Amino acid sequence: MAEKESPLHHFELHPIVDIHLGGLDLSINKAVIAMWIGMAVVYGLFMLVGKKGTSMIPGKLQSMLEMSLEFIKGMVKEFIGDEGMKYFNFVGTLFFFILCCNLIGLIPGSYTITSQLVVTGTFAVIIFVMTLIIGISKHGGHFFSILVPPGVPKIMIPVMVPIEIISMLARPISLSVRLFANMTAGHTVLAVLFGLGLSAPMWIGWLPLGFTVIINGLEIAIAVIQAYIFTTLTCVYIGDVIKLH
Amino acid sequence: MGQDNGFHQGMGFAARLGTEMVAATLIGAGMGYALDWLFGTRPWFLALGVIFGGAAGCLGVYRTAMQTINENNENDNNETDSNP
Repeated sequence: MAEKESPLHHFELHPIVDIHLGGLDLSINKAVIAMWIGMAVVYGLFMLVGKKGTSMIPGKLQSMLEMSLEFIKGMVKEFIGDEGMKYFNFVGTLFFFILCCNLIGLIPGSYTITSQLVVTGTFAVIIFVMTLIIGISKHGGHFFSILVPPGVPKIMIPVMVPIEIISMLARPISLSVRLFANMTAGHTVLAVLFGLGLSAPMWIGWLPLGFTVIINGLEIAIAVIQAYIFTTLTCVYIGDVIKLH
Repeated sequence: MGQDNGFHQGMGFAARLGTEMVAATLIGAGMGYALDWLFGTRPWFLALGVIFGGAAGCLGVYRTAMQTINENNENDNNETDSNP
């Protein structure tokens, strides 16, 4: 029981099925299962609507999905432009997957995979490498002019180039740390409040327990906002390398 | 999500600016530290890296803020234009 009192306890992962291939640890733990559930929920939601056939008068689920897709489409158009529509699939999938994983984590007993820096870091690095590839394949050597902001005097270029390189490299870090920190912090606060509520006597214990309910509501908002910010910034970064200033 | 109110947007905005600044400073410091380790010139590149990182962070925050202000101004103008 002693180790269960740590508010960070629920972030620990223990393998459920041990799989070791060569030097690789491919064990299946709670996080892997939560990720599979997340994928299954996204796939299931869209298949449910797609299989049933879209009707002219949309039902509740269909109109909800259509609204969110329209919303993402507007985001892609705004930040990348019309030629950004080929990245719409990627951005949409990213949004729904992160949103589902964030929301699934709020169900007691499940696991928030976005509270692992490995997961958010992988997303961010993939997006970073993708923007580099898009930029270089679109503009060739001219792509590196992104490191020199327009209207900079020649004498300032040796100063501006390192600054621009640093701000380029900071993007994946801030992208991944933001999502990871928000999720971890929220769940830690919930765990601390819950621990307080359980260890306090009944006459005062209802207070922290009540707060967990309120914070849980706030966490739902944060789950949506963080998924939104993550996808918006992905669009901004892709738009930056396509437009080059 | 379509009806994100000002509070939510502001909160997301604040979180975005904060992490951007910290990440840029850390990257600058990390690059400086790596260069020091490479050339054995501790602590000069580290100091320079922190300064450059901080500058990059400020620049990023400034750009994001200006962009948002411009967008808000455009929205306000559109709203007043559409009113007869």
